Amino acid sequence: MYDTIVIGAGLSGMMAAIGRAERGEKVLVLAKGYGATHWSTGCIDLLAGCDDPFHGITQLAAQRPHHPYALAGPTMIEGGIARLRAICEAAGYPLVGNLNRHMLLPTALGALRPTTFAPVTMIAGDARQLRDGRPTLIAGFAELRDFFPPLIAANLRAQGIAATAAQLAMPPVGRQRDFSPATLARLCEQPAFRASLGEQLAALARQGDYARIGLPAILGLKHATEVVRDLQNRAGALVFEIPTLPVSVPGMRLYQILEDEFLRLGGRIQLGGFVQRGESISDTLVAVFSEAAAREQRHAARRWVLATGGILGGGARATPEGYVRETALDLPLQAPAGRAGWFAPRFLNEEGHPIFQSGVRVDERLRPLDAAGRLVYDNVMVVGGALAGFDPIREGCLEGAAIATGWMAGMS
Amino acid sequence: MQTISTDVLVIGGGATGTGCALDLAMRGIRCVLVEKGDLTHGTTGRYHGLLHSGGRYVTKDPQSATECAHENAILRRIMPHCIEPTSGFFVITPWDDESYGDVFVANCQRTGVPVQEISVAEMLRREPVLNPRISRVFEVPDASADSFLATHSVALAAREYGADIRTYHNVVDLIRVGDQVMGAIVEDLRSGERIRIDCAYVLNAAGAWAGKIAAMAGVTVTVVPGKGTMVAMNHRMVNTVVNRCKLPSDGDIIVPIHTVAVIGTTDVHVPDPDVFGIEPEEIQFMLDEGEKLIPGFRQYRALRAWAGVRPLYKDKDVASDRDIPRTFKLLDHEARDGVRGILSIVGGKWTTYRLMAEQTVNELARRLGNTQPCRTASEVLPVPRFEHRAHSTVTVSPDPAAQTPYYWLGKPLALVESEHAAGELICECELVTRERILAAIDAGAHNLDDIRRDVRMGMGPCQGGWCIYRTANLLYERRCANGLTHTNANEAIMHFLQERWKGLTSVLWGDQLRQARLDELIYVGVLGIQYLRPLAEPGGGLVTQHPAIATEYVQA
Repeated sequence: MYDTIVIGAGLSGMMAAIGRAERGEKVLVLAKGYGATHWSTGCIDLLAGCDDPFHGITQLAAQRPHHPYALAGPTMIEGGIARLRAICEAAGYPLVGNLNRHMLLPTALGALRPTTFAPVTMIAGDARQLRDGRPTLIAGFAELRDFFPPLIAANLRAQGIAATAAQLAMPPVGRQRDFSPATLARLCEQPAFRASLGEQLAALARQGDYARIGLPAILGLKHATEVVRDLQNRAGALVFEIPTLPVSVPGMRLYQILEDEFLRLGGRIQLGGFVQRGESISDTLVAVFSEAAAREQRHAARRWVLATGGILGGGARATPEGYVRETALDLPLQAPAGRAGWFAPRFLNEEGHPIFQSGVRVDERLRPLDAAGRLVYDNVMVVGGALAGFDPIREGCLEGAAIATGWMAGMS
Repeated sequence: MQTISTDVLVIGGGATGTGCALDLAMRGIRCVLVEKGDLTHGTTGRYHGLLHSGGRYVTKDPQSATECAHENAILRRIMPHCIEPTSGFFVITPWDDESYGDVFVANCQRTGVPVQEISVAEMLRREPVLNPRISRVFEVPDASADSFLATHSVALAAREYGADIRTYHNVVDLIRVGDQVMGAIVEDLRSGERIRIDCAYVLNAAGAWAGKIAAMAGVTVTVVPGKGTMVAMNHRMVNTVVNRCKLPSDGDIIVPIHTVAVIGTTDVHVPDPDVFGIEPEEIQFMLDEGEKLIPGFRQYRALRAWAGVRPLYKDKDVASDRDIPRTFKLLDHEARDGVRGILSIVGGKWTTYRLMAEQTVNELARRLGNTQPCRTASEVLPVPRFEHRAHSTVTVSPDPAAQTPYYWLGKPLALVESEHAAGELICECELVTRERILAAIDAGAHNLDDIRRDVRMGMGPCQGGWCIYRTANLLYERRCANGLTHTNANEAIMHFLQERWKGLTSVLWGDQLRQARLDELIYVGVLGIQYLRPLAEPGGGLVTQHPAIATEYVQA
């Protein structure tokens, strides 16, 4: 019997699990697999479309009282971020930034994307620095299919940044292989590979007098900060990472740091457990059943955190008939009525698509409500992408909303 | 204005037009072909990929059935690399009229369509997912065909024989002096330049657009654009073409082609071949029909839906659209309308494209005094270089991929594995390597959609999540020295994402909806493409949104 079972191992679930474990509870994270952390940038996006993210959040919370930020409130937003930063700092992978200011970091297309906190391995790419007139090199490997320097450099130049593209030669690695971002990240932790990479960067930096070099975010899995420091020393220029297409190496790092911290606190993680249904006594959830190898497994706890995500995470699933179902506990969902209202005609429609705002409606303590506003479970809290009424990707608050609500569930 | 002079100007770069260009060129008749989009831009690129045995027409349209049976054998000979010899079943389900079985067999025999009844047990041994309540099964020589590749092969052969084939050339007007059509003014959509083409004959092979071309010559050709909607499913749940044994209707055929199975089709009259939408009810209806052939059909993942417009020719004496025959017709506008110098070839279907071309060119050759016989039924077609499978047909290798000239599922994988090219996959869903994409770009693909048609990039389950980004970058790197700018590349990605979205929305639920959300995370969340909107503009030879070729999609 656990004190708390957290369903879902994404950012919101891990923050909730760490919070509960810190308070001395016996906690299980039960998840189908890794969360959206592995697909994201590894940065902490708080809110797009404003100059001062914290101020923007305050305004948003006032206008939209059901938004996750409004439910969590400023204390939980600040507290959650502070705790996450402390954990990353202690792991030697600091998240740098300021609640009141955006950084603009280059993407793998050369767009400048606002984010609030970024790993120390990325911050030399902030557009404020890139626009100082000194030359920047964008370099990659032809063998890596998820990062193409020429278009990145061309788009950066069009935005007033003196960027040039170069292709690096793949250091000898023994055998021909599939160079995914994760494979390359592991190679970067090998001294010989790094030495060869550093030599090439040094030669390029000398030739072009580059002040800094942007590389794909593949610079190590466990020791990224040291890999970047080492490459900077060898190259004689600042080095910064640019997130690639998934799988996201910075996302893997972030997850690993959270997992390490949770395990250190005595928590337990069970992946591969897809929660199918719950068992309740009136408004108390007493157990859930997960699909395991050839049988169902019953898990009992006193309190629950539902952190299964929305459509993206798999916590909400839409049917061809036009309904949306909550997959773990079959909770009532708030969703557009019928397929006709699901999508905007344009994919890049600024407001996104209504279907992706589907989620669980909750009360001020994040407990699930039904369509009539009645409490469904007294001992369940819903966090992150599973919540209704917001679009974390379009609003640019994917990590912020997850941290704020996850931490709230961890603290209350 | 530049002026070109030729014997025959062919209008339309689908199967019919390119087939005519090849036949003309083989007989030594000079010809220019103009197509407003890419080859197969119209209906040829939007059908389910069935090489008809003729079985679907034996009762209602016996002439079409006989033509199909005849051409089926020829196409297997001249383009084996485009055909997967799947075979085909006509099955009687509990929802069909039992008595039609004997009628079907008799009509097959009458029309020359080879047919053999097999036992239900044998059917289930070969295709275990088919409905066990099926009562009778008839096997016919259906197959699946890659109409994109076939058209490229025909165009390549035509060029080798000297035909001048021009894609992204839109006919602005036909030049008519008195009762004589003298040629056409065409616009190169990439450069905006106009060209005058003088010719002895204009051959209108514009398919569903034939009425619009004919109108430029002042003659009336009534083409009824019949919209057919199809849905591609993520699995090849069958490896045999499966037809309901009844009179052809909606949602009664499943065609396994490449990595997917396609269920089709509907037949809805639309007023304009450039303006149509897909109704959610059409999709649900077809999934329900699929369930009758394959129990559990709805549980498979629907990848995308699209529609093509059949170029059905309506003769003056046909009362109802439903009774329009599927056979083709060569219209001599001199005899019919008193206008000389123009012929229209209308109707027909992909399987009979070669026969249509033969009869059309016989007539043109006679008029031009050319006595060369038609040779398209005997000359094997060449394989375009971007088509990697080509290597296997010419090299002697122990690899199983080299053993048959036909396409078979697993052939692309066998080739990727035999060349250790797995690390070079740009589109992992469809096993498209960097080399093939670059070859397609070098062969003249003008945008991401052209590359998609050439090598199937972006047509698998992830719907382009990774390969749109990768391919756009390869296109930029390959062409940036020839005037393709970063703004063109940005626009190319946005445009392709939008084109995919059109094909997706009607089948988005379950896992495929989740996939679409992941693609949104990639392009909006990780790549921040929305921040590049001010840095996106059409151009650089990437013709995508020109009003002449844009299909307007009506949101259902």
